[in-house]
This record gives sequence, C-alpha cells and structure tokens, in this order.
Amino acid sequence: MLWACVALALTAVPLQAADNQLTPDQKIVHVLDRLGFGPRPGDVERVKKMRLENYLQQQLHPERIDDSVVEKKLAAFNALSMSASNLMESFHEDQRMAAERKKAQAESEKQKDVKSGSELADANRRASNVQKLMDDKPGEHLSRIAVAQLQDAKIIRAVESNRQLYEVLADFWSNHFNVDVRKGPCQVLKVVDEREVIRPNVFGKFRDLLEASAKSPAMLFYLDNAQNSAPREPGPGEERLRSRVREQVPGTAPDPVNAGKPRVVGGINENYAREIMELHTLGVDGGYTQKDVQEVARCFTGWGINLRTGGFEFHPRRHDDGAKTVLGHILPPGGGAKDVEWVLDILARHPSTAKFIATKLCQRLVADDPPAALVERVAGVFRATDGDLRKVVEAIIYSPEFYFPATYRAKIKSPFEYAVSAVRAAGGMMTPEGSAGPPLTARLAVETGATFGRGMDRIAGARRKTLNLSIIELGQALFAYQAPTGYPEDSRKWVNAGALISRMNFSLALAEGKFSDVSLPTDDLLRGVDIDKPDLVLNRLDEVLLQGRMSDATRATLEKQTFGPYDSATSTVNVPQLVALMLGSPEFQRH
Amino acid sequence: MWGPRFLQQLVFAAEPTPSGGRKILICLFQRGAVDGLSMVVPYGDKDYYAARSEIAIPQPTPKATAEGVLDLDGFFGFHPDMAALLPVYKTGHLALIQACGSPSSTRSHFDAQDFMECGVANDKSIRSGWLNRTLLACPEDRAKLTSFQAVAMTTMLPRSLQGDHEALAIPDLKMFGVRDTSELGRGVTSGFEGMYEGAVDRVLHGTGKEAFDAIAALNAADPTKYSPQNGAQYPTSAFGRSLMQIAQMIKANLGIEVAFAEIGGWDTHVNQGGAAGQLANRFTEFSKGLAALYHDLGDRMADVVILTMSEFGRTVRQNGNRGTDHGHATCFMVMGGPVRGGKVYGKWPGLAREQLYEGRDLALTTDYRDVFAEIAQKHLGARNLQKIFPGFKLDPNRYHRLVRA
Repeated sequence: MLWACVALALTAVPLQAADNQLTPDQKIVHVLDRLGFGPRPGDVERVKKMRLENYLQQQLHPERIDDSVVEKKLAAFNALSMSASNLMESFHEDQRMAAERKKAQAESEKQKDVKSGSELADANRRASNVQKLMDDKPGEHLSRIAVAQLQDAKIIRAVESNRQLYEVLADFWSNHFNVDVRKGPCQVLKVVDEREVIRPNVFGKFRDLLEASAKSPAMLFYLDNAQNSAPREPGPGEERLRSRVREQVPGTAPDPVNAGKPRVVGGINENYAREIMELHTLGVDGGYTQKDVQEVARCFTGWGINLRTGGFEFHPRRHDDGAKTVLGHILPPGGGAKDVEWVLDILARHPSTAKFIATKLCQRLVADDPPAALVERVAGVFRATDGDLRKVVEAIIYSPEFYFPATYRAKIKSPFEYAVSAVRAAGGMMTPEGSAGPPLTARLAVETGATFGRGMDRIAGARRKTLNLSIIELGQALFAYQAPTGYPEDSRKWVNAGALISRMNFSLALAEGKFSDVSLPTDDLLRGVDIDKPDLVLNRLDEVLLQGRMSDATRATLEKQTFGPYDSATSTVNVPQLVALMLGSPEFQRH
Repeated sequence: MWGPRFLQQLVFAAEPTPSGGRKILICLFQRGAVDGLSMVVPYGDKDYYAARSEIAIPQPTPKATAEGVLDLDGFFGFHPDMAALLPVYKTGHLALIQACGSPSSTRSHFDAQDFMECGVANDKSIRSGWLNRTLLACPEDRAKLTSFQAVAMTTMLPRSLQGDHEALAIPDLKMFGVRDTSELGRGVTSGFEGMYEGAVDRVLHGTGKEAFDAIAALNAADPTKYSPQNGAQYPTSAFGRSLMQIAQMIKANLGIEVAFAEIGGWDTHVNQGGAAGQLANRFTEFSKGLAALYHDLGDRMADVVILTMSEFGRTVRQNGNRGTDHGHATCFMVMGGPVRGGKVYGKWPGLAREQLYEGRDLALTTDYRDVFAEIAQKHLGARNLQKIFPGFKLDPNRYHRLVRA
C-alpha cells in the first residue's frame, strides 16, 4: 500500500515539476481573472482565507451567495422587472409617437414651402408638442431606455456581484444565443430573454436552455422564425389587407404571372433553422446538410410571437404537418408543436453539440486554442450528464489544463472584461443614480441612442460619460452585436492598434474620475503609504492593480515617469497618472 | 504633437508624390449577402418576374421614374436607388460582374465570409486573409512600408487583412490618439509608449508599436481639417464616414495601399421591398457613398480601384415573407480610373428552374478569385498569386480584363 503511494507520487512528479506550476497565489489570481471579472483589492486575501476549494464550490452554487446589495442597486431600473406585455405596450406606444412626430415634421416641412402663416404655426406646434412629450417623460417611454437599463445592470453585476462565475457564464450564454437589441421589438424583448431564458438556465440542463431560447420571443423575432410559415391559401381578411398594402406601398411590383390564380401566402423562412444548428448546437461542421436546414425550418413553421403580449405562440394553421426527416430521424406527420420538441431532443443530444459547446466554453474559460484532450473530456461529461451545465463547467475548472502555466494570462481581455476589470482593480463602485450629471432617465436615453449608433460624435467629446458609453466606444456595445454569432470567443480578435489606443484613453478617463457612474476611492488604494515616496507608491499600486506582475520594462518606464518630476519636497507623485498607466499597460490587457 | 520625431521624419521620407502615386485598392464588403438580382436587375429575363411576384423591380420606363430599373445594356438595369452610380457607369469607370461569387456550397454567412476573405473556396486550414497575403506578395512595396499601408475602418481587423503583414483597424480617425491634454494626463503618452516598447509580450509589443507609429503619422497629416471636394456628399452613416475617412487618408498621402470598409443590412429575409423599401434604402446609402468617394477623390481615382463583394447571393424565388433566403452567386462591382467599365461582365446563366444552382439559386459563372486575382496582379502588381489563392488553378485567360495593366 505504502509502496503504491510512493510509486504514484514518483510518476506524478515529472509531469508537474514545481517550477512548472502556478503558485497557490497565482492559482487564486487565475480563478479571479477567468471565473470572474478580475480581482478587487483584498480579493486574493479573502479567497486565500476561505480556501480556493471552498470559493470554487460557492461560485458553482450562486444561490448560496448573498447578493442583495447588488440587487438593491438595480431597483432603479424599472424596465427589468416589467412583464412582457407591458414592455410591448410601451414599445408600440413609442413607435406610434415616433411615427406621429415624423409625420408632424414632414407636415411642417411642407408648410414651410407654402408659407401660410397660421397653418405653419399649427404644424410647428404639433411637431413640438410631440417632441415635448418625448422629452418630458422619458421615464414613461421605457422602450427608449430599456436597452440601457439592461446594459447598465449587466455592468453593475459584473463589477459588484459576488456571484462572479455566474455573471461570466450568463455573459457567455447570452452571447452564445445572441440577440441584437437593435432589431425591432428586440429592444424590449431581450429584457425578458435575459431574465427568463438566459439567467435561470446558466447552471441548468442545456436542453432546457435551448428550448427556452427557441421559445423566446426575442429570438423568434431576431432570427425571423416568427415569420416562418407553411405556404397556404389566405383567409378573406388577409386577402383584403394584402390588396390594401399593394395599393399603398409604392414600389410593390405588379404580379404578371400569378394573376388570376389562387394566391398563396406564408412560406418557409430558413434563417433560424440554419442558425440553431450552425451556431447554437451542432456547429458549422457538425454534420448537417442544406436539406436538414429545410426540414428543420418546416418543423419550426408556426412558431411565432403574439406582438401584443410579447409571448410565445404556436399557430397550428401555419404549421407544416407533413412528415420530416431531420439528421436521419424520421418525424411522423401530424406532429404539430411536437415536431420542435423532437428536433430539440435530436440537436441537444447530438455528439456534435457536446463537442461544439465544450469547445466554446473551453475557449472562454481556458484558452483560445483549448487542448483537444480537455475538449474531448468535457464533451464526454456533457454527453454523460445529458448536458448538465454545472457539471460541464465543473469539469473545466477542476481540470489540470485550467491551471497549466500556459493558460495563465494567455487571453486578451475583451473590451467589456477590460473595462470592468479595471474598475474592480481600482476598487471602484457603481453609482447608477450618481449625484453629478444629468438625471438617470436622460442619460439612459443617451446610452440607448449610442447603442443604435446615434450621437457618437457628441459622446466622444463629452467631458464626463458613463461606463456603459465607454464600453460602446471600446467596440463592444452590450446586447448589440448584429450577426447571430455573437462577439468572438477567440480573444486574439480584440488585438489591434486602434483598440489599444482606445484602452489607453479609457484608463486615463477612469483614473481622472471622468465616469459619472463610477466612484473611485483612489485614497484607499494608497492607505498607509507615504505619498511622497514614489517607490513605495509604485510597489503598492503594482500589488493592488497588477497583483505584483509588473514587468521590468514597465517598472523602468513608470519609474522614469514618476521620478522625473519628483524633485523637491513639495511635489507629490501623480497618482492618477500612475493608475492610468498601469491599467493601460500591456500587463493589464491579459487575464 | 504626439509621437517621437524620428517617426514623423520617416513618414515624410516615405511620402509619395501626389501624381505618380502608388496604386490603391479599396475593398468594400457587403455583409449579409446582397441580392445581386435586385442590385443589377436582369429585367430582360422573363423568369425573373415569374420568380418574384411581389419584389421584382419593374422594367425601365421610357421616362425614367423612381419605379423602374435604370437600363444599362438592354438586358440589365440598375435598381432605381443605385442611380448615383449610373453616371460613373456611363463614364466607363464602373464594371459590373453578374453571377459572380464563390463556388463553395455553404450558405452560412460566417463561413462564406471567412472563406472569401481568406481567398479560398472551402479550405479551413488557411487562416490569413487574401489582402494580407497580397501585400506580402508585392515585394517592392515592402520597402516603402508605412503604418497606414493597410487600413480597415472597423473595430476588429477583418479576416481579409489578418496575417503576417502589418495592418491597422481604425473605426474612426477622430478617435485615434491618446487624449493627453488634461493637466493630469500630460506626458502620459510617452509613458504608454515606453511600456509597450519595452514589453516582452510579443503580440502587445508589436501592436503597441503599430499604434504609436500610426498616431505620429496621422498627426503629421493633421486629420482634423477635412472637407470633401468636387461637391461630394457622403451619407451621414458609419459607412459614409468610413469612405470619407479613406479619401482623407489617401489625400493626406499616408502611404495607404489597401483600405477596407464594410456595410451591413443585406440579409433581407423579410419584407425586402421592391423599387422602394428596406433593400432600396440600403442601395441608396451604398451607391451614394460610392459615388461620393469617386467624386471626392477626383483625379486620384486614376490610381484607385474600388472592389465590392458579398459572401453569396439570395434565392431567386421570393420566400413566404416577401424576402429572400440564402443563395449562391451575386453581383460584384469594380470601379475606378484603371477600370474598363461601362459593361456588365460575366456569362448570364439564366433563371429557368433547370438553370439554377441546386434548383433554387443563381448559378455561378465567374469565380470571385478570377476577379480578385486580376486586380491583385494587374493593379497592385502582386507576384506569386498561387500563394494568395491556394488550391485554385489560376489562368489569366479566364480574366474578364476588368482593369488596364
């Protein structure tokens, strides 16, 4: 027995030579970096005290972690708790008012040409009334600020939540099942998607998450499945509506060929069918064909949205009830809504799905090119547990590969990770209703506008801005990636000269206290350090901001920067500039 | 002024004379798969109208109205909202290649874009971009390398420009520089520069150097002052701004050789519209942007070729939502002084059912690589094209002869 232990120990040693391993402190930093948004001052000590193993277990069970302080901070974001139907009501109301304003403006333009005094005044008054309504009560027009509330809440949670792993994974899954809020009612429906589809299923079964997403009105609209319908003859009401559209919409072409024949409405839309296989489950090389895309699209016919309530609806009349063949499985005719259940079963349990999800998760948590053996093992856990996502994540973060020295600081931070980790490193806290600056609703409207690409010039020149605006400027507007791929998990895509300069500007703005919703206790960073002693200041900042990882080259530069102007007893170290330099340093770009 | 002095001097040394300037290629990617049949309409093909009862563009009318196509050659016509480019076509500076694209059968946007930007049909082992390899294949240009030789007006470097050759991604010139003018930030730029210069991190060291070199060059050119010439009016969109800033960099003689910009919104699955509507609005922005760039560059267009591309086309038949799904071949455009334009190139495959690719899509008669290769070779002077288009059997006899050598 004893002999066996010795033998085991001996064989184990050469594989894990001491100088080829992360130190216990490095392991903690690595966990805080990758399974969270980077350490805050004191975090390393805290984890060391409670032991890494306990910390990991806690993070895997976020329900055991109290997070009431953060949730309280989110209370001001009223859209986030609203029902789908209230959100949709607000959306339609805003659409109606926007149309009215446009009409009133057009009228006033027309009147300008005629120059009839009273009519002109009338039209102008109407235009400005509508404008006033929009400006005065932005809080009542939730769809204009729901997007910003969603983004701000995500940022606040990333910065302050104690459930760090949960927030990392919520970000991962939201990005995996990407929905662009800039597409129609997605600007309000994504609120529901995030709250009821993504967040509750982060540690659940993949099959449940997939079905929730397939039924999510935001997804159904974003990938056009709400429009996917079996071709059929129209009812009389539809026919009337159709001829009206034909008369009223300029540019609708005449119908030279089908005239006189019975008309057919509806038809297959392949968009969602393709992406659910390519991007959500099997992966592009997962072994499906164009024929499978068409068949899955037929299964999804009739899966739609009620645009009034913002709820999921199955329309049996629009469903193609014929037999289908999906990835070799024959689905009998007359399946109705069950067709999709079968499809989801097939996709969720397909070995390509296990491999694809394992690869993407390993890419996020371990390395841009994750070790094949690790991916294979993790995919095995996915298959063995029927896609239990907690078990899958566990398999990754308890793997030896996760702690390989080669994975340590191997990834470049995304803009979102970079901005949030910088605020955390400096001990910053979010003050969403910040005392300075414009009222909350007004700034949320600006943030939503910026997400839609409006007013960027003004924002670039603004003296103070919010963290959310700066993340938009860094190139990662949250919930607003146009293509269904989501932002890349391969972190190398974020490295380029322009992006680097933006990050330097970000760190400068942060250190100068230019973010209206971040409070930065710079004094706390240096508590107990004599601010007149540059070397001590440098050491402390290295320890707090960079966990003592400052390179010799960076130190040399910073010493020059610091000692240069330091020539008399009256001058002190330019601490904010040092903070800016460290948060913009090469060291801080990686995690 | 930011940046070290020696770099500024280097920039001036590399500055070409405005007249005998270097050749420039501007690539514009229409992401999302543009419906080539709506952009350059085969109004002479009766099957076109049969397949698209609600979204076809009517035949040209004797008096040009906003409703009908703008005739190009008696068979094809521009979408009415491409009107801004009609004069360029008539001047002979715009060539259209119909039924062009990739032979790849993928209908995945992302795979198809990746393949096209890598210059391959289906080979996933090629990771660098065709433009990047083209730059590597132009030996004499390597000698006069500047930071701005290859620039993408994007947040992330597009696949086309990824690879061993240096390339910049700049979403907006106005944001390019460290804002170190505050009391607190004074001198911070040299601090950043020092840290990246000394970084052992190979990737970040290299990127940092590119960044600071570019800042120095740009400042020497003073980008804040710019007004378009010849009455050019760019659309106020991000695409319009990208094109304007490309013109700006060209005129500032920063040594730009390859520029890249992109425009989205072509994935018209639903309510694509006909002569008016969603897609028409995209054409307005697209064509007005291109026309503005053409006019703004004026005489400089003698050295410029603009190449537009899209990952694939769209189904010939409209779908159930008055839109179109992912298809196969589409229409590419080549514009500029060296272009033999005023013509729609490419064999027309027809739109009858038996003529369609997989029974549903416009068939391919021009491999996109025959277009890219001709431009890389004749316009940019690239050698060893086999390295740019691996696995593709090149044959100059297949070239359409789109550009004058």
